Amino acid sequence: MSNVPFKNPGWAGNTGEFDLTENQIRGDDFVGERPAHGGHASGAGTMPYMLSEKQPDAPLFEGEYRERLDKVLSRYPTKQAALLPALGLAQEIRGHISPESMDEVAEALGLSPAYVRGVATFYTMYNKRPVGRHLIQVCTNISCNLAGADDVVDAFLKYTDTGLGETSEDGNFTVIEAECLAACGFPTCVQINSRYYENVTPTEVPKICEHLKGQGE
Amino acid sequence: MAEMVNLTIDGHEVAVPRGTTILEAAKTIGSEVPHYCYHPGMSSPAMCRLCLVEVEGAPKPMPGCVTTVMEGQVVNTQSEQALSNRRGVLEFYLVNHPLDCPICDMSGECNLQDYVHDEGREHGRGREPKRIFGRDDFGGDVLFYGDRCVMCTRCVRFMSEVEQDHRLTVVERGNRSVIDTFYDEGLDGTNWHGNIVDICPVGALVSKDFLHKARAWDLTHTPSVCTSCSQGCNIDLHTRDNLVQRIKPRENLDVNAWWICDHGRHNYEWMNRGDRLEAPVMRSDSGSQAMGWGDALRALLEKSDGGGSVKAVASAMSSNEDLGALKALVDAMGGGEILYRSARAEDEVPLRGFPLLARRKDLSANSTAADLIGANRVGADDGTGGLDEVSNHDGIVLVLNDDLADQKEDFGNNASLFVYLGTHDSPGAAKADLVLPVTSHAEGEGTFTNHERRVQRFAKALDAPGMARPAWLVLGALVAEKGEGPAPRSAADAFAAMSSSVAAFAGITWDDLGTRGAVLNESVSVTGD
Repeated sequence: MSNVPFKNPGWAGNTGEFDLTENQIRGDDFVGERPAHGGHASGAGTMPYMLSEKQPDAPLFEGEYRERLDKVLSRYPTKQAALLPALGLAQEIRGHISPESMDEVAEALGLSPAYVRGVATFYTMYNKRPVGRHLIQVCTNISCNLAGADDVVDAFLKYTDTGLGETSEDGNFTVIEAECLAACGFPTCVQINSRYYENVTPTEVPKICEHLKGQGE
Repeated sequence: MAEMVNLTIDGHEVAVPRGTTILEAAKTIGSEVPHYCYHPGMSSPAMCRLCLVEVEGAPKPMPGCVTTVMEGQVVNTQSEQALSNRRGVLEFYLVNHPLDCPICDMSGECNLQDYVHDEGREHGRGREPKRIFGRDDFGGDVLFYGDRCVMCTRCVRFMSEVEQDHRLTVVERGNRSVIDTFYDEGLDGTNWHGNIVDICPVGALVSKDFLHKARAWDLTHTPSVCTSCSQGCNIDLHTRDNLVQRIKPRENLDVNAWWICDHGRHNYEWMNRGDRLEAPVMRSDSGSQAMGWGDALRALLEKSDGGGSVKAVASAMSSNEDLGALKALVDAMGGGEILYRSARAEDEVPLRGFPLLARRKDLSANSTAADLIGANRVGADDGTGGLDEVSNHDGIVLVLNDDLADQKEDFGNNASLFVYLGTHDSPGAAKADLVLPVTSHAEGEGTFTNHERRVQRFAKALDAPGMARPAWLVLGALVAEKGEGPAPRSAADAFAAMSSSVAAFAGITWDDLGTRGAVLNESVSVTGD
């Protein structure tokens, strides 16, 4: 990685504090397991993790997550503007965004619950219902579809013995279709929690699931 | 004076102030560009795509609601291109619209119905099933039919921008998007939500109160003024079968713009009451005797002669003309005290997005005019009490429209003559020596003076029952009999008589009032509180 200081890291605007190197920006804090407090403020609002351990009853925005929300808020001109990352945080902690979570996010950001509901339901990447430990999103858009994505979906559904959007009995898996995951060079692409699995074929599906179970239990 | 911009719309040369939108400019030549999402009282998201007009030189159709005029611009709102744009957009609107006009309350005043009838395709081409949402009770007075919705988001913007209580939102997206509140939160507790029913261009938001009550084309619209507080909101009374069916706001940018509060909107049942006084009644030891107006007024004049001093109780819901005529009669009878009672609310209910408008603390339509004629407010803030002196008065007691519901049985027992002018059968009417039936504000013409001393006209919406006559006509005839000028033959006459005798009304004529009212001379101070 380069040690040349960043002039403008690009995602939240150069506010003049970026005498950071690429290593500091993309380094340990941001690759692999990121800390719950979100690392540097400039990255704290980026795509949240989907953790396999979901705690539907955990408090929102306390402790390290409070710290992270404050970092996120510091990067936006208004509290309303921080709604997407705040919802992302809520989903990271609880695994899905329930009406109660929307209400709490609205309270934290000083917005009306109805407005938060409108935003949360607009975006498909917020889970409005509980999902399994591993959320399996199979791309079925053009490139992946041509490479047999439908068979991959079927293989996942057969292995997990569920229908689309249902959670398997052991609580491990929820399989859904996703629109383009921007990995058209590696069809079929499957996103499982925060990770991409590329060039997936139906025969590999059981192996992936076994691996996940080992990881998840 | 703003800088003017010259442009051509549909072949007409138009000059409008810089910053005017094409849609508003087209209105000035009477060309109504179809639109849903645009409303003059709110922001324009340009999302309904119906007001697309052809601007010569522009590479694509421009939304008329947000495109501002430019010098030398040539706009076509009715060209082949513009019409075909609208025909296409309207066809999309009908993809999921249920076309249940025969059972829809909006039918007859629905913009979708009108536009499709005028400019849409004759037959639909859709073969796919329509998506179905069903109904949702939004609480308050609002029922939502999701399938009829055209997603203009006027209601969402009204709640967020005008009422500024962001209860409504667009949930989900694309084909599944629908208007909703936060789950079961609903609109309960908001004070202006009835307006979203008015601004809904289709039948998606309907009033539960008006649900399936009348068809739009059977209703007669009469301009009137709301009596529920001293704001004096301009309204239309929608009547059928000589009954008020609903109240809708009438545009007046000086008073209430396009809005009225929910309290005023639903406060109309009293105009439809059946227990009306229909004939003059004389009460004596030998019983009650109904009689004609001539006999009644002659009897009144006879008995009032030498009856002693006068004390009058007026309702602050009476019109300017009624109050002016009452004042003139009291003066003609030798002068006396006029009292009025007026209920006050604890708080104002403001409409945040339009600061001129609020439901005022003063819950009487016309206490300003009562003050101006020199009447004194008595009683408590709930509109009761304060009449002890009148109750025991041994001279003439005149009561105009105050039902005296809170008064004891012996009210007026000592009076030499107790005359009651009222609309409804009431405790007051049961005690009086002479009961004279008068019309309610919905049944006659007249004016009210609102909290900022704006005088506004209202018109006759209902036929009065039986022999009921306007109070100004009755009182004016008595004043004329007393030799004080000619009897008024119209509300305009009565208003003229008032403006010549009450200083605050000097200089204002009936013609000055127009549709937006006229504010009284500022330099005359208001008496009373």
